[in-house]
Amino acid sequence: MRISTLTFQSDALSQMDALQSEMATTQNQLATGKKLNSAADDPAGMAQVNLLNNQLSASTQYVTNGNYASANLQLEEQAMSDATNLLQSARDLAVQANNSALTATQRQDIASQLQQQLQDLVAIGNRTDSDGNYLFAGTSNRTQPFAQLGSSVSYSGAANVSQVQISSNQRISSGDTGASVFMNVPAGNGTFVTAVGAANTGSASIGPGTVTDAGAWVPDTYTIAFSSPTQYQVTNSSGTVITSGTYADGGSIAFNGIQVAINGTPASADRFTVTPAGTASAFSTLSSLVTTLSNPNLSSAQLTTQMGGALQQIDAAITNLNNVSASVGARLNSITSSQSSAQSTQTNLQQSISQLSDVDYAAAITQLNTQELSLQAAQESYASIAKLSLFNYIQ
Amino acid sequence: MGDILSTSVSGLLAFQRALDVTSNNVANAATPGYSVENVNLQEQRAQPTASGYIGSGVNVQSVTRSYDELLAGQVRSSQSSYSSFNTFATQAAQVDNMLGDATTGLTASLQSFVNALQTVANGPASTANRQVLLSQAQSLAQQLGNYNSQLSTYGADVEAQISNNVSQINTLASGIASLNGQIANGLAATGQTPNDLMDQRDAMLDQLSQYVTVNTATQSDGSMNVYIGSGQALVLGSTSQQLTAFQNPYDASQHDIGLVSGGNTTDITPEISGGSLGGLLSARAQVIDPAVNTLGQFSVGLAAIVNQAQQSGMDLTGATGQPMFAVGPVQIAPATTNTGSATVTATRTNLNALTADDYSLRSSAGTWQLVDQTTGQAVAMTGTGASTDPFQAAGISIVVSGSPSNGDSFLIQPTAAATAGLSVLLTNPAQIAAASSIQTTAGAGNSTGATVSSSIVTDPTQWVPGSDTIAFSSASQYQVTNSGGTVIASGTYSSGTPIAFAGAQVTLSGTPAAGDTFVVTAAAASNSGDNSNAFAMIDALSASTLNGGTTSLTGVANNLVSQVGVMTQQSQANATAQQSVNQSAVDTRNNLSGVNLDEEAAKMVQYQQAYQACAQMIQTSNTMFNSLITAIANG
Repeated sequence: MRISTLTFQSDALSQMDALQSEMATTQNQLATGKKLNSAADDPAGMAQVNLLNNQLSASTQYVTNGNYASANLQLEEQAMSDATNLLQSARDLAVQANNSALTATQRQDIASQLQQQLQDLVAIGNRTDSDGNYLFAGTSNRTQPFAQLGSSVSYSGAANVSQVQISSNQRISSGDTGASVFMNVPAGNGTFVTAVGAANTGSASIGPGTVTDAGAWVPDTYTIAFSSPTQYQVTNSSGTVITSGTYADGGSIAFNGIQVAINGTPASADRFTVTPAGTASAFSTLSSLVTTLSNPNLSSAQLTTQMGGALQQIDAAITNLNNVSASVGARLNSITSSQSSAQSTQTNLQQSISQLSDVDYAAAITQLNTQELSLQAAQESYASIAKLSLFNYIQ
Repeated sequence: MGDILSTSVSGLLAFQRALDVTSNNVANAATPGYSVENVNLQEQRAQPTASGYIGSGVNVQSVTRSYDELLAGQVRSSQSSYSSFNTFATQAAQVDNMLGDATTGLTASLQSFVNALQTVANGPASTANRQVLLSQAQSLAQQLGNYNSQLSTYGADVEAQISNNVSQINTLASGIASLNGQIANGLAATGQTPNDLMDQRDAMLDQLSQYVTVNTATQSDGSMNVYIGSGQALVLGSTSQQLTAFQNPYDASQHDIGLVSGGNTTDITPEISGGSLGGLLSARAQVIDPAVNTLGQFSVGLAAIVNQAQQSGMDLTGATGQPMFAVGPVQIAPATTNTGSATVTATRTNLNALTADDYSLRSSAGTWQLVDQTTGQAVAMTGTGASTDPFQAAGISIVVSGSPSNGDSFLIQPTAAATAGLSVLLTNPAQIAAASSIQTTAGAGNSTGATVSSSIVTDPTQWVPGSDTIAFSSASQYQVTNSGGTVIASGTYSSGTPIAFAGAQVTLSGTPAAGDTFVVTAAAASNSGDNSNAFAMIDALSASTLNGGTTSLTGVANNLVSQVGVMTQQSQANATAQQSVNQSAVDTRNNLSGVNLDEEAAKMVQYQQAYQACAQMIQTSNTMFNSLITAIANG
């Protein structure tokens, strides 16, 4: 076949150009470590890398979010543990005060100590994080949630708490409202509250009582009235007699699925009440304990009943704190587990991104060697063929 | 004897010519476009004698070039294809490189914005967190703005190149026309083809085919007619027509291609294919303009989603959130040829139906017709076009006023100008509406079974501030009443599924008891620690709310990157393929038309030897003559 001299020259040159440009591409890949520099290199791969990068970035953000939430929850847990200790020591004081041998002055001393503890508890409720946000104010975290006015403490925080996203499909509360931690403590035994009539003259006191059949309980205000030291009658709020019977000291009075125990000797016309339980805050429990202990005029029966109720309330407040604490612990656990799964997700994502966009060094170096060999062969063959010309032999 | 002399002299002269041609071939061995020339020798008419016809020598009949019109045509068509793909690939690669980087691209910036929103959600009261979000909003807007202005630069560059190509084509066309004239004259005067002029004309045609696809037809007088597009004559004999790059009737910054003929300009833009001009026109129509529109769609989507969420929420000061982003309006351009008094205005109304296409609105026999410029399909419109009842189509609402002449038209670009007008409106970090503008409070006597997870406004245009009550008649049935006691919604409850009413959405968790109530009211200004609206914004940003509810914002950005990437990759692959097709066509042509030095060396030896032999014949004739003279003298 006839080949023009120009074709031979220009073909050899363009082949060497092409080989050099391929080598430059491979060299660039080796130098940057990337084979995917723009979408044109691999459009589908690029779209995939973009999505994977987004997931990676979001996952990193979720870990940061989790750190934020766990810092908050740990502060909350610390505050609740301090509150539990405080209530525990208040309970010890109450047990100490629940002794008829004590004088009014001694009880007054204990009341002063409890008053101080009440203030400490309010201070715990008003704790802030390092930015000055109130821990227990819910979403109104720039507003002080608890205010003490005389003997009553009110909650002015929000009913909701803000949430934190800890994984693509999981948002958890980063705190708890002061209402759920301190205020909404079930009163009495959770179902009803017992009280001694203010005008009672006998020495009988009433215990907190128990629920024997929750299905039979009808919420209402019941009055246990004694017509004599041994005869009683239970009426509901509309005056209907529910039951009646003979009283023996220490015996139980049962009606509508509940059971209460009265101790001591009631006088004729003494009354005891059973009312449905609402909620009592940890603050009101302490504050009514202070009121009880500061009152030198209480009868022994009233004192016994009220102290019994107060101890039960303190226990309920501690139980409530423990319940919230357990939920905080569960949330901290789910943060930890979502963070550790985020870590393995991130490793996987990075591997996938690397597979799509990073150079396989072994393959690239092999390719570079092959290209180098081709270029060398092209150069050598050109140099030897270019020398050939018939003109060399015509003298 | 006289015969020997004249025959040998004819040989001497012929081989001298042949050596002239050979030396010219050798001299032009490296000249691009040179076709190797051959000497065509012919024996002279023989003398009839009684003993037969005696030959009387040789003469040079013609000097022709090695040339094949089919091969030359293949070189040109592959050159046009290569040039078209290569130009397209160069333009597309610029856009591809701009959009491409996975770590700094648009999807990454959007994700950074969402991450900053998450950070705001973590500490809604923190001004530092809010400042980060504002900065991310700024940088997202800036990035979109940079892309947009970069695309305008590429667009302007394409326009400049189009004008430049048109003037190159015109220069070459008049060059070819003038060569046609010279070739025709030369052929007519001598009967011989002027090979050098024909080589020049072929070189010019090759150059012309780089700019646009050409078809040629050789005429009997030696001239060559040149056609472009779908048969529009560029060169006819020795006259050439001029192309012109004239302003698009809708957009003065863009050029259309016109053929000037007899003082009239015909728009032949759609007919132009191949060559760098074809590549530039395709790159403009398929890469640059769609990229601007898609970026615009992204900007509109971003602004609409974020602004709606902002206006649903409450900022740090307790005020209703204000829009965060401003975008450019729907762009409307009347055709410069319009004669009526009609004017058109349009606004975007529905993000879901909005497209990245351009539309033309044309008055035809008293009715307005909307045509999608990308698909060429007519788009149905509802409404009358009056300001009280605008035309509704493709996510925009169009109001027409004044009276059009028949055929008047307007170009409507719903998204093209959006990104250019994108800016961040908020300056104060406190203005970010992270908190919900409503709050839900459980009734005082509620059971403890159900608690409020979140309450947000989803549509600020429907939400009526007031006090609405969600009351449960059983654990699964609820009814919502407003403060006037009117029932505005009711339904079946399941834990975690939002209860939606009047543009608001309340999510409860747990199991409510019969008689439980939840009261929804405007949020207290102190609720600055709330982040439910920030989450609503995060959720809305990842939802598929564009392109008929099929695509998210990230999807729009990612599709743009992929589409430009695919077009770049394909055009680069096509350019590489066409380059080798072109290379092989050039090689095939050169193998026929190019100079081979070894061949010339052999011919040189051949002609030189023949020349020497002729000279020797003259010497022989001399000897023969001398022998005769001597014989006579001696006799």
